[in-house]
Amino acid sequence: MLRLAAKPRSARDMLSISPSTNFILNVLMVICVILTLAPFYIIIITSVTSEQSLIQNGYRLWPEEFSLNAYTYLFREGSIVITAYRNTIISTLAGTVLTLILVTFYAYPLSRPNFRFSTFFTFFAFFTMLFGGGLVAYYMVMRQILQIQNTIWALFLPSAFSPFWVFVLRTYIKTNIPDELIEAARIDGASEWRILFQIVMPLSVPGLATISLFSAIGIWNNFFNVLLLVDKVELYNLQYMIYSTLNNIRFLLENASRMQGVVNLSELPSQTFRMAMAVVTIGPIVLAYPFFQRYFVRGLTIGAIKG
Amino acid sequence: MSNDQAQTTGKPQKPKFRWTEDAIYTNLSYLTMVLPGTIWLILFAYLPMPGIIMAFKNYRLQKPPADHWIQNRFIYSLIESPWVGLDNFRYLINPVNLDNTIMFVRNTVLYNLLFMVVGLVASVALAVIIYELTNRFWAKLYHSIFFLPFFISWVVVAYVVYALANNTGIINTLLASWNMPPLEIYKEKIYWPFIFLFANLWKYTGNGSILYLAIITGIDRQLYEAAAIDGASKWQQFWNITLPQLIPTIVLLQILAVGRIFGSDFDMFYTLPAGSAMVRDVTTTIDIYVFNMLRSTSPLGYPAAAALLQSVLGFILILVTNYIVRKTRPEMALF
Repeated sequence: MLRLAAKPRSARDMLSISPSTNFILNVLMVICVILTLAPFYIIIITSVTSEQSLIQNGYRLWPEEFSLNAYTYLFREGSIVITAYRNTIISTLAGTVLTLILVTFYAYPLSRPNFRFSTFFTFFAFFTMLFGGGLVAYYMVMRQILQIQNTIWALFLPSAFSPFWVFVLRTYIKTNIPDELIEAARIDGASEWRILFQIVMPLSVPGLATISLFSAIGIWNNFFNVLLLVDKVELYNLQYMIYSTLNNIRFLLENASRMQGVVNLSELPSQTFRMAMAVVTIGPIVLAYPFFQRYFVRGLTIGAIKG
Repeated sequence: MSNDQAQTTGKPQKPKFRWTEDAIYTNLSYLTMVLPGTIWLILFAYLPMPGIIMAFKNYRLQKPPADHWIQNRFIYSLIESPWVGLDNFRYLINPVNLDNTIMFVRNTVLYNLLFMVVGLVASVALAVIIYELTNRFWAKLYHSIFFLPFFISWVVVAYVVYALANNTGIINTLLASWNMPPLEIYKEKIYWPFIFLFANLWKYTGNGSILYLAIITGIDRQLYEAAAIDGASKWQQFWNITLPQLIPTIVLLQILAVGRIFGSDFDMFYTLPAGSAMVRDVTTTIDIYVFNMLRSTSPLGYPAAAALLQSVLGFILILVTNYIVRKTRPEMALF
């Protein structure tokens, strides 16, 4: 993950831990790995279990009978899952692009020594990290003034910018792009916009990739803003859709005795179906991880060290 | 665009600044660049700030008369609602609600302290262990795996908790097969601090250790060699070399964490207990309380007062912490 391999360190280096300590630590790490992966395993394995075997045997570590019914049911025609998927993908793409634009445009001037208002705009962003108007005022402003409730904007606009990312990227640009390079481009007659697009951005790819990944995760997993600002089922994203499904089921099960005859419990979305929903929810974002991995440790660590 | 003269700034000795044509042009470009972000900050961060006066008013949403100069219902109601001084704050501490208030403030602060301390120890320990492992391939693989939970939303974690611990879940199936009483996590409070702590560690430890690992990797190996020659054990090397190098970053992150001590990971506290009323005494934080009040029919001044206290206390705490750090170790202060 980190580029540690280049470090010269033979197995019997005097700085190495003893083989027995190494063994114990490895055992500890393997236990932690199992604990870390267990939830993934449970979700995936339950989602491919057949419903009958789940009802008869309960949750098992290895299913008696495999079945992909849950997935075919999930992506049947006109399924709400498809709508939620579309909303999530659109908002994640739009939100990530918007984040990149907002954050890069804000961070680059702050990294330049010849920007005369740099102190003001740094404080303007930093202050929002320390103080806020509170949830109630936020809720009222979103709904009554900006009126972004029940629009696709509610899914990504409120989380498309973050002062923290601005400071990460600013530090990244400061430490990685020599002033001389920008100075030289300026002498050659490049405009500030051209310097930003053709020099700074290509040289900040690890930083930009990190910010994109974090923004994409945040918007893909956005739950809070949907809870606050979206009331229409056709605008639910995946997270909120699976949340409301789980909640409805728990409510129905807990009150089943009181509502005898009103709901038919066997018609509830099945347990395998629910886990299949969880799998398709985490799938794409986990698959994106390896592609970003080579960049983001560098982007995160260089940018986040105080500068 | 004139390029006949080089920019004067950026040279070692800073000459006096002059608004040359070039400087004006450059700064105008910069101002255009920061404009979109500034608009976002105004709309989503600064616009709600005047709303804090709701905490001092008996806020009622009302329709402005047709001829009034403000036609926005929120702004009109905000201005027209009567001032009530500190009544909304008194509501939080009147004898009927005091226990409830103490409960959610206590939950918020204690959970945050718990996560701060345990999370810090776990992240640093993980970074050190990963670094010390002799097989680099396995070390990298472990760390990549530990980072994975960071991608998972709390809603999905809530699914997992439910799958593990509901009546027909994995844990209770196992317990039943051993003739043991079932674990009723949605009915009993005792389990929740452990569930939250474990879930929090599971999700954030891998991510938290990245920064520490990067710093440890950057420490000069000669320091350790010199210490080893002098007979220092691994343990002594950790306390005397590794930890002092980590302290500035730890302090920085902890100052920020202290500022958030009245906040909470809303998604986690909201989704994991799945609205179970029987465990609300150990799962309600300030954020959850404010949200629930916002969704109820009670006057908005009450949650607004709680939210304002949360903002102001967090702000004061971060200033005080930073002040203390600046007095003792100026180079580590945040600002």
